[in-house]
Amino acid sequence: MLTLIIRRLLLAIPTILVLTVLLFFSVSTLLGTPSSMMLGEDASPQAIAELNALYGFDRPVTVQYVDWLHKALTGDLGRSFTTRDPVANSIASALPVTLELAFLAIGLAVLAAIVLNSLPSAQRIVRPLVVALNLAGIAMPNFVIGIVLIFVFSVNLGWLPSTGWVPWSAGIGTHLEHLILPVVTLSAYYFGAFSLVYRAELADAYTKLYIQTARAKGVSETGVAFRHALPNAVLPVITFAGLSMGQLVGGAVVTETVFSMPGIGRLFVGSIAGRDYPVMLAVGMLVVVGVVVMNLIADILYRVVNPQIRLG
Amino acid sequence: MNARISIAAGMAIVVSICICALLAPYLAPYVPTHSSIDFLKGPSATHWFGTDELGRDTLSRVIYGARTSLAVGAGAALVSVLIGAPAGLAAGYLGGLFDAVAVPVIDLFIALPGLVLALIITVMVGPSLLNLVLVLGFVMWPTVARLVRGQTLAVREMAFIEAAVAAGGSSTWIIRRHVWPNIMRIVAAQFSLTVSFAIITSASLSFLGLGIPPPTPDWGSMVRTGYDFIGVNPAMSFAPGVAIAVTVLGFYLMGNAIK
Repeated sequence: MLTLIIRRLLLAIPTILVLTVLLFFSVSTLLGTPSSMMLGEDASPQAIAELNALYGFDRPVTVQYVDWLHKALTGDLGRSFTTRDPVANSIASALPVTLELAFLAIGLAVLAAIVLNSLPSAQRIVRPLVVALNLAGIAMPNFVIGIVLIFVFSVNLGWLPSTGWVPWSAGIGTHLEHLILPVVTLSAYYFGAFSLVYRAELADAYTKLYIQTARAKGVSETGVAFRHALPNAVLPVITFAGLSMGQLVGGAVVTETVFSMPGIGRLFVGSIAGRDYPVMLAVGMLVVVGVVVMNLIADILYRVVNPQIRLG
Repeated sequence: MNARISIAAGMAIVVSICICALLAPYLAPYVPTHSSIDFLKGPSATHWFGTDELGRDTLSRVIYGARTSLAVGAGAALVSVLIGAPAGLAAGYLGGLFDAVAVPVIDLFIALPGLVLALIITVMVGPSLLNLVLVLGFVMWPTVARLVRGQTLAVREMAFIEAAVAAGGSSTWIIRRHVWPNIMRIVAAQFSLTVSFAIITSASLSFLGLGIPPPTPDWGSMVRTGYDFIGVNPAMSFAPGVAIAVTVLGFYLMGNAIK
């Protein structure tokens, strides 16, 4: 088991390196030097050259990459071209917002999928709901779901704030109030997807003899569902959730934009609009590393929990 | 859901959208890029879905938007099949070193968030209809490749492949004559699903401001602009939003049921 983890880790490092190289080189070669963009189209070649020298853009891309990587490993991600703030600071303040949104959304989706689909007495209502929500989650892009929710719950009913984000320090109540719509928006698709997986696993679990045994010894249907069927059906949902975290980042970018949340996604979209290289690179790399690490954790966890596939 | 109903519903939607796209000049009551002084009007008899901030007829723009969405969706799906199918066939049938290299690459690309990848590439190459098709096709080919590889692995074990090998057929001939016809149906289903994903992703790109440049009617950008006026004229963002959802649903139902 330990050798497996080590082997996976050793495989993850070159993967991350290759991806960062690809990202760095494509950004630098395709976008050209940032200086011409920073100074505008009418800038004299001399001014561009000076700025290039100042930032080190006149060096070969390989040297720039090694330099960037070296600094990045020591926590120095450069400064934003537009705000002049250190990129590491912007990321440090934006990351918690995105992580909270992402984990709450995936947690809500997993919890709702498991509980709603397990309740034996509620299935007549839950089944059509799952089908409808699943199709809605697939067909509606995140921003459409978000806008519909804002229209219903903020513009019309006035129950919840439409956009914005407030820190914990402003009070837990207001903090959570601002999070409800974004979290629901982001989790809608995953609730449907997890439900389908869980229902299939549940149907399989219900054919097993231990269910019959449990019923025979007088366990209630609810007890059978939660104590006997659930533990045997929940594992694929957890793995699927882990593997979904990467794709969820894409949804988070859109959701943060709709709800004006100061997270990684909006930082990224802003950097793209402003051609802000250091921010773009840093966030791109962060996403890449995050996805590789997430998959690694999901992979290892799955093997730990399920001894049947404990190979190699 | 019943597969037959699902296919019928999906096809009905897809055919209607195609008709909208083809006959847009005859169906649309107004010129989609024509502004007027009746701006931000709610739905009425003259403008069924109201007008936007420049006084353009929302219904006409939604109808014309079908052209953009279908072009991007079908184009991107085609590109992803053109890259993904040969890669999957080669990895699955030939195996060996090619497979050993292809599988990690495919897995990695599938794990990366498609939207973020598309954002980065689009900002490098610049947004235009052709670039969008190529970028989305490139982002989505690994899904096709993984599916084709899995199917190829299954077909490769069949007796008729053994017979074809025994008859002295070359790998290319066997892939073309015996493997491909057996997986074509699945690829067609995946094509339909990819169209739906491409439409969603391109709409999201437009919403983030990196879609088809204006004034071309594009559902994603229409939702974005309408969002700013949601309190004044909700139809402005709802009409294109519903159009996206219905179109995506059509392609999804069709693809999922065939699969």
